[in-house]
Amino acid sequence: MKRKALSIMLACTMAATLAVGCGSSTSTDSSSSSTDSSSASTETAEAADTAANTADSTEAPADFDYGSGNITLWVADNVVDFTKAQAEQFIADKGVDYTITVEPVGEGSAAGNMITDVEGGADLYGFAQDQTSRLVSAGALQPLTGTGFDTWVSDNNDTGAVGAATVGGTVYAFPMTSDNGYFLYYDSSVVTDPSTLEGIVEQCEAAGKNFYFQIDSGWYNTAFFFGTGCTLEYATDDDGNFTGATIDYASDKGVIALQEMIELASSSSYQSGSAIDSATNIGAIVDGTWDAEAAKSVFGDNYACAKLPTFTGTDGNTYQLSGFGGFKLLGVKPQTEGGKLRLCLELAQYLTNAEVQLARFNEVGWGPSNIEAQQDPGVVSDIALAALAQQLAFTIPQGQYPGDYWTLSEAMGGDIISGNIASDADSCMSYLENFQSQCEALVQ
Amino acid sequence: MGKIKNVFSTIGLTFVKGDWMTKVSYIIMGFGPLIRGYVLRGVAFLLMEIFFIVYMVKMGGFYLSKLPTLGTEETHMDPATFVTVYGDNSFMILLFGILSIMVIVAFVVVWYGNIKENKAEEERKAAGKPVPTLKEEVNRIIEDKFHVTLLSLPTLGIFVFMVLPIIFMICVAFTNYDYNHQPPTHLFSWVGLENFGKLFSFGGKGFGHTFVSVLIWTLVWAFFATFLNYFLGMGLAILINRKGVKFKKVWRTIFVMTIAIPQFVSLLYVSKLFAADGLINSYLLKWGWISQALPFWTDPTWARVTIILINLWIGIPYLMLITTGILMNIPEDLYESARIDGANGFQMFRYITLPYMLFVTGPYLLTQFTGNINNFNVIYLLSQGKPKTMDLTGGAGGTDLLVTWLYSLTVNDSNYSMAAVLGIMVFVVIAIISLVVYNMLPSVKDEGGFQ
Repeated sequence: MKRKALSIMLACTMAATLAVGCGSSTSTDSSSSSTDSSSASTETAEAADTAANTADSTEAPADFDYGSGNITLWVADNVVDFTKAQAEQFIADKGVDYTITVEPVGEGSAAGNMITDVEGGADLYGFAQDQTSRLVSAGALQPLTGTGFDTWVSDNNDTGAVGAATVGGTVYAFPMTSDNGYFLYYDSSVVTDPSTLEGIVEQCEAAGKNFYFQIDSGWYNTAFFFGTGCTLEYATDDDGNFTGATIDYASDKGVIALQEMIELASSSSYQSGSAIDSATNIGAIVDGTWDAEAAKSVFGDNYACAKLPTFTGTDGNTYQLSGFGGFKLLGVKPQTEGGKLRLCLELAQYLTNAEVQLARFNEVGWGPSNIEAQQDPGVVSDIALAALAQQLAFTIPQGQYPGDYWTLSEAMGGDIISGNIASDADSCMSYLENFQSQCEALVQ
Repeated sequence: MGKIKNVFSTIGLTFVKGDWMTKVSYIIMGFGPLIRGYVLRGVAFLLMEIFFIVYMVKMGGFYLSKLPTLGTEETHMDPATFVTVYGDNSFMILLFGILSIMVIVAFVVVWYGNIKENKAEEERKAAGKPVPTLKEEVNRIIEDKFHVTLLSLPTLGIFVFMVLPIIFMICVAFTNYDYNHQPPTHLFSWVGLENFGKLFSFGGKGFGHTFVSVLIWTLVWAFFATFLNYFLGMGLAILINRKGVKFKKVWRTIFVMTIAIPQFVSLLYVSKLFAADGLINSYLLKWGWISQALPFWTDPTWARVTIILINLWIGIPYLMLITTGILMNIPEDLYESARIDGANGFQMFRYITLPYMLFVTGPYLLTQFTGNINNFNVIYLLSQGKPKTMDLTGGAGGTDLLVTWLYSLTVNDSNYSMAAVLGIMVFVVIAIISLVVYNMLPSVKDEGGFQ
């Protein structure tokens, strides 16, 4: 937006003699925004019956006018070619006059770019579910309510994925994958028994290898807190505002989780991190399917995966590490033209249907969120996905969290790793009370 | 005050005493010059007025009228068609509103110029001087007034690309432009001094404690990064410069090698080197010298010291180069007479070398200090401001400078208004330090000192 604004300003100030021509070109901007309401109302009339027809199905009427133009997609680098081929296939089958541009923009930067400049962003873009509420509150996601696509999404995807695409009671995106969870990759020559956390740490220490677990992240540290039975949930309204919080970290369960993290961080084999590429001397790492190829090349024949281990808490009980189940979603930017909006929605639906999800799994190994595609024998037999599937039984589908929650969690992790928190129950409790009250304060 | 009075009396008197052409020029700019035959000037004034009117009618007026509220109509979705209708864009309103104010100020200045022009033309006529021909006018623009012609474009550029964004950013500090008020979907509005209140509130969610803590570390960092580098670099240069040191050029070359590697490469590399799973810790653990990785980046105090030390490695070679040249310039006879008087090495450094160096490099030291306050690269590439801690609000970390904190506020938290407040505070801090220190510099107080 800033870039655009500057270029307009540059054009305006180039020379006084160009004033007339330039002034009129910018005037369309301002006058159109003031007359938008009138032109919109005429569109309303003609599209009202369209909406009525399609309230329950995603089919467009036969004579629907899609218009023409260009659709831009932002997807992760490794699926650019795949997405381009699929999207062009879709446009060709549809026989509409649109061109497709697919740009490689990773999930993280796609969300960031959309938030800073909605109007300049892509029409369809892939993102990870932790960004959903941020995107909704920035107005970068088209709600699917009433279009019929929301029922399609909830009927065809696993419940976790649907939850990740939902803010308040509104579905905002099309789930692409159900593989954004984490589990254990390990070197089977170092770790022989990945079933307990203590065992893994001990074996890594003995072998002088590193055990990576990124506890200074709000995404990974829930493995401990949710594992001991804590809750951390935010309620949102349909506009992405946070209206309530249910948190019980400041409790005995929370203290056990925090003490376990402090103990883990004090091990000489412990390292914070979750990227195999930048890790060294790995014995075991808690990471997700996106690093499966890297893990295979690092561990070679000793490549092994397992669900997250159990640990014995300070109260003597055994807890299974939990965590977030995570998802990749495909979002549609709010559109100003009805025809293009319709086409964008249909394209998003096509790119996330069972066949394309399966094709994507075969091409780049992304685990499908579509219930039908999940039953495919190829998907069922994948080692990493199998470990994830096992772990997913213990996870909680990730809902919506305020941006500052991640910042706070990073701060807590920083305090744990730097030894800023004494491990006795009282200090842990007072620390968690502070953390919890700050988390609760994020609700407006 | 007198000047302003002067301007108004010129405007008034010219109108009263001027002829009818001058009077018409008050409304139709350039009318007088056009009739009197000063075609080029007349056309220029007229065009500027037309540009101004067109601009104000087409866009300036719209944005200006919205400026007090920063927009009232929210972006909304048509419930029947699901098509989005974009409403007011507070960002654009603020930006173009400021631009419009600048255009109005510029117009008033030009309008005043137009009056003075009319006055001058009447005086010329009264004195019986001829109307200059077109050729003479063109000559005047490219010869007598060439500095004006040459500088007008750069000045315009500075106003549009420097002054306008700065005013814009300052204005953002007085709005609630943050995560919950992001254009074009949401509007933001003026909130007065609320953000500054937040910055200086010390309880609960206030930024006060964090601001003070980050500010202190920023100043401590800037102090050490500047003066340690300075004295150690100078020491190294003196050492190499000593009589009897062989292979002087070889030593200098070795140290200059660190400059040859791009800074960000070496910083990223060193950052990894000192990480908990980096080379240094791995080897120390492997050799059994330590049983627990040294917390170079995870403990705030360790991280701060590590950053200052690594910065030495980057900064000393530059200082060595700079001071080597200056050291060679100190007149040898000063040292000779000192030696005859029985001064020892330290005394010679204290009373000859150091005053001379401070005199020559004082302004450099000051710019280094202010530069270090805003030294984004070193901090961001080495530690990203980490370790984070719950003791600090707004996502600040133990090694965050004001400027890196500002960065994370905008990029991670979309908290543009607080970031703008921080930006203003950084300016205030630097301005105070610069003004106070500048006037204390020997090179300013005693200009002829070493002439």
